[in-house]
Amino acid sequence: WFWPLARIVEHIPGRVFFCCRAALQELMRLKSAERLFLLLRKAPPTSLPKNPGITQVCSKVKCIFIRTFRLRFRLSFLYPINDAFLVLPPAKAASMIQQSIVGNPDVWRQALSTWAALQAELNGSHGRGQKRKREEEEDDVNGIKESVESEDACGLGQNRPTFRVSCRCSGAIARCCNSQNLSRIIGVAISQQLGWKADLRHCKVILCFAVYAVVNDLLSFISYCLFFDASVILDPMCGVGTILLEAAQECPSAVFIGMDSEEAQLQKAAENVEAAGQVNRMLLVQSSYIPLPTGSVDAVLCDVPFGRRFSCSTDMTSALPRILAEMERVLSDGGYLVLLLSLQLSGQIKKLVKSNTPNPESRAAGRNTKSPDHTHGVSKHSSEPDENRETERLKLSSLLLQNTHRVSLGSTDAIIHTYTKTHTLTH
Amino acid sequence: MKLLTHNMLTSHVKGVTKGYPLLIKATEVKVNEVEFNPQFVSRMIPKLEWSALIQAAEGVGHRQDLPDTLVSNYENDEDFLHKVHRVLLEVEVIEGSLQCPESGREFPISKGVPNMLLNEDES
Repeated sequence: WFWPLARIVEHIPGRVFFCCRAALQELMRLKSAERLFLLLRKAPPTSLPKNPGITQVCSKVKCIFIRTFRLRFRLSFLYPINDAFLVLPPAKAASMIQQSIVGNPDVWRQALSTWAALQAELNGSHGRGQKRKREEEEDDVNGIKESVESEDACGLGQNRPTFRVSCRCSGAIARCCNSQNLSRIIGVAISQQLGWKADLRHCKVILCFAVYAVVNDLLSFISYCLFFDASVILDPMCGVGTILLEAAQECPSAVFIGMDSEEAQLQKAAENVEAAGQVNRMLLVQSSYIPLPTGSVDAVLCDVPFGRRFSCSTDMTSALPRILAEMERVLSDGGYLVLLLSLQLSGQIKKLVKSNTPNPESRAAGRNTKSPDHTHGVSKHSSEPDENRETERLKLSSLLLQNTHRVSLGSTDAIIHTYTKTHTLTH
Repeated sequence: MKLLTHNMLTSHVKGVTKGYPLLIKATEVKVNEVEFNPQFVSRMIPKLEWSALIQAAEGVGHRQDLPDTLVSNYENDEDFLHKVHRVLLEVEVIEGSLQCPESGREFPISKGVPNMLLNEDES
């Protein structure tokens, strides 16, 4: 049983943003998510006038959440804002924030009614005893004695929603930014532009603003593990096991296979595994290919080494097609492939996989002529004859690109590619 | 090398069509106690090639009187899961080799890590 792979993933400390097509009930079962937020809008970055003489800081994202009293579901708006505003004169910064915060009012109304609908569904479908009770108590504290029904989409659409702003700053931004001031500035903008009613005590919606400095790093790569519940996860080029050990933190019930061609790396990996107390589910194998049966792995995670000689006197650029074909082969139907790639390898892999899906028509034609494909994957524990493996190398036809995502690794940038292996039936 | 690892490994020597299961030739076997997690074990069982596991366990002398064929309703059979846990995760082949059933090629196991590397002319 799997999570549909999340697409368009972004990551800030404490939060991961993603898109997926899962039903509400499925989302509720996300194991490693403490709370779920609903992101309804991501605004384009706000451009601010350049102030000469001021060093630009690269932290930049401001998130705006509409928090509900009910647990679990929260509305959120994501606004990238260049934090140059922090050094602008206060009045000017305030007016700039006010101009940028609301944007299209329809988006806010829509967000609110979506939230209300989900909220109603949540309350309607779960008789969650204790939690429900706590929520009601919370409502009483805030002086709200409404029934669930009155909170539906229609009710909110007609009335002026009441709200208050709660703002929290963290990290470097917190030092130069006053939360109370920000709350007030944002609150004024919302009540002026949307006509919502600011009310500190009897409010229906809390708008929750969180101001963060954003650092993209390897963690966002690892955070992909949040979205599926795989039982066998492979890193075919594990090095000292960093990624597998990180992933192990997120997937407590999976077994991990780490492979590397170099003995020294594996020895370090073994020490790391021991130190991390993960010996019971971390399997290490020395290999430069993947000696596993077809369709035996639920997810492949790999920080593809670049510039390093890989195996048998081939460099990564020429070895990549073969390695990809191996990864594709061992993945089960519906399995996930997550790759961390250099910009150069990213370009190369795009060409390799893209050539499979130039347009729907030729894809359909490809399907008809692909009957030999079904010969492998039938018998679980058999390796293919060489001819078959050879043709497989050129295809990669079952890999479906989900998304690419740029991350910064200190001095260099890298690209994360995620793929799913499509089901044999859809071929 | 755990028997769980062995259960998944296949031989990819050139020309081999069914390089599975690999034959274990163990010269040093250890039993490491690791924490028992019944959910984890019952999740792994459907993923296993049961007969290969039994054969491997027998070969290293730790069969734990496990049956030839997988019993049904094992999820609630704590005793059964415990035995599978022992065989899968606690029995460790430290030194020895794995042999391809078809080509006879031997893959060394050293310090608990199987070395599946092939020469260029073998792959």
